[in-house]
Amino acid sequence: MPIPLRFCGESEFVPTRSMFLRILWKLLGASRGRLAVALIALTSGAAVCSALLNVNLDAEKKLTQEFRTFGANVVIAPPSTGGDAALADASVMDRIAALHNSRIIAATPYLYVAANSGKQPVILAGTWFDQLAKMNSWWKVEGVWVSSGDDQAECLAGVAAARQLGLAPGSRVELRSGDQNISMTVAGIVTTGGAEDSQIFTRLELAQRLAGLSGKVSLVQLSVSGTAPEIEAVTSQLAGALTGLEVRPVRQIAAAEGSILGRIRGLIFWTIALILVLSMLGVLASMAALAMERSRDVGLMKALGGPVSRIMRLFLAEAGALGVLGGTIGFFAGALLARWIGGRVFGVEVSPRLIVFPVTVALTVLAALGGALPLRLLGRVRPAEILRGE
Amino acid sequence: MAPLVQVENLEKRFGEVRALDRVSFDIEAGEWIAIMGPSGSGKTSLINILGGLDHPTGGRVVVNGQDISNLSERELTRYRCEKIGFVFQQFHLVPYLTAVENVMLAQYFHSITDEKEAADALRRVGLGDRLDHVPAQLSGGEQQRVAIARALINHPKLILADEPTGNLDEANEAVILELLRELHAAGHTILVVTHSQAIGNLADRRVELEHGRLARIHVPSVAKD
Repeated sequence: MPIPLRFCGESEFVPTRSMFLRILWKLLGASRGRLAVALIALTSGAAVCSALLNVNLDAEKKLTQEFRTFGANVVIAPPSTGGDAALADASVMDRIAALHNSRIIAATPYLYVAANSGKQPVILAGTWFDQLAKMNSWWKVEGVWVSSGDDQAECLAGVAAARQLGLAPGSRVELRSGDQNISMTVAGIVTTGGAEDSQIFTRLELAQRLAGLSGKVSLVQLSVSGTAPEIEAVTSQLAGALTGLEVRPVRQIAAAEGSILGRIRGLIFWTIALILVLSMLGVLASMAALAMERSRDVGLMKALGGPVSRIMRLFLAEAGALGVLGGTIGFFAGALLARWIGGRVFGVEVSPRLIVFPVTVALTVLAALGGALPLRLLGRVRPAEILRGE
Repeated sequence: MAPLVQVENLEKRFGEVRALDRVSFDIEAGEWIAIMGPSGSGKTSLINILGGLDHPTGGRVVVNGQDISNLSERELTRYRCEKIGFVFQQFHLVPYLTAVENVMLAQYFHSITDEKEAADALRRVGLGDRLDHVPAQLSGGEQQRVAIARALINHPKLILADEPTGNLDEANEAVILELLRELHAAGHTILVVTHSQAIGNLADRRVELEHGRLARIHVPSVAKD
C-alpha cells in the first residue's frame, strides 16, 4: 500500500484537528484530580463574578429607584426678584404632568406661609400629601399620615414645631396669617431630620386661602429617576417647557447618588478582580503540580519531533477548556447566587442577564490561561534529560 | 555513494569530563550497527547527538547529507521528526493514550494522522488485538513493540534504539530481536545501543566505546541466521 509522503513543520498537509481534540480529551481525562481542583477554583470565581455582575446591573436600577424616595433632586421655582419671595402659578403642575415623562417619580408643589399659632411664629407649608408621601417615604410619622385629599382640616406637624407648640396626634392647632384664621387637627408628627421638622404641612388649597394667594405656589420639588446624565436630560426638557421658571437639579443629592453608585461599582470591580486573582492562584497551584507530572510526556513529545508551540497549544487549549467550562457552570451558579443576594441585600429580584455570560466566560478563560503560566516551563524541558530519567 | 551517517572527530564534554573523545565512524544505509561498551563509555551521549537530542562540543555529524552539529533547537526538532525513529529502554509511551494513539502521536507531530496506517503498523508488530489498550494494560514486550511501530510510522532514515531489550524478559527480548532482524532485512538502518552480546552479534558491525573513545569496530563472526 503506498504511503503518503509527509513533511515536518511547514507541511503541506494540515495536521488533523481531530487528533488535537483527541489528545486534548485524553489530557483532560488523565489529570482529572488536579484539573478538578483547578475547575473548582475557576467555577467558584466565575460564580462570584457572575453574581456580582448580575447584581450590579439590577441593583443599580433598584438603588436609583430607591434614591428617589429620599427626597427631591430637582427644584422648580420662579426666579428670585431680590425682594419678597416670588410666586409661581399653580398651573405649573399641569404643565409638568403634560410632559408625560416617566422619569418624574413625584412632583410636589409647596406654598410657604408665615403664620402664627398664638404668639408663636411657624411656617405653614401647603402641599399635595399624596406626592409628599411618594417623595419622602422615609419620613418617620407618629400618628397617621394625612390620608384623605379632601379633608382640609388635617395637618402634619414637624417634630420641632410640635414641641414648640405643644402638639400631639389628635390635638387641634389654630393658625393665623394676616386677618385669616384656620383650625386643623394634627394627624401625625413627622421627623424628617431637616428643615421640615420646624414646619406644619397642610393641603395646598388651605394654605393658599390662609395667605390669600389662590392659585400660587412657592416652588415645586421633583423626584427624577435615572443617572446624572438622564436627570440632566429631564431638567433640560423641563426648562424648555416651563419658560419663566428656574429648573435646578439639586447638585448635592445628584452628586451623592452618583458617588454611592460609583463606590458600589468600584467595590464590585475590585471584588471581581480580587476573585479572579484568587481563582488564578488556585489554578496556578494545580498547574504547577501538573507541569511537574507532565515533564516526562513533554520530553517524549519533543523527542518525537513535536514543536514546542504545538505542544504548548495543547496545554493552553486544556486551560482554555477549563476556563470555558468553569465560566459556564459559574455563570449559572452565579445567577442563583445573584437572586439570593438581590433578595437579601437589595430587596430586589435579580434576573440573570445574557450579557453577563460572555463576560464571565471571557474573564474565567483569562484567569485559567494566567493560571496555566507554569506550563510554559515545559517548553524548556530538555528531552534527553527527561528520557534519561533526570 | 556517501554513507548515510558520517561521524567525524565527535566530541562531547560535560565540564572537564569528556564523554566522547574524537569518535569517528560511518554507517551505510541499510546497515545494523551495535554501539557497545561499559557504563560511562559515552554510548548515551553518542545516541543523543545522533538523535538530535543534544549538541556535540566538537567534530561533526552528517546524516543523509545534513550536518546536524550546529542546528538550532527548531531545526533539530524538525530533524528528529523527519529522519529519526526512537526506541527507548523505558518504552516511553504516553500513558493516557492508547497503543494506536501513541503511534498516531508521531504522525501528528510529523504532519497528518492516519489511524488505519497506525493500526497496520501495530498489526505488523503483532499487536492487532491491542490497538485500544493503554500502556498500563500492555506487557513490557508489547509496550516496546508499540514503541517500534511508533518509531517506524514516519519512515525514518535512521532507527535509534537505546537498550531496547534492557527491561524485557527473555521471551519478550526474543520477540523484539526478531522484529529488529525483520526491520534490518527490510532495509532499515538501525543503530542499537546495547550491553547484550546477543544483539551485538546480530549487528553488521559493533562499535565499541571505552572512556569516550572508539576502542574498536568489530564485525561479528557468528552467523546471523
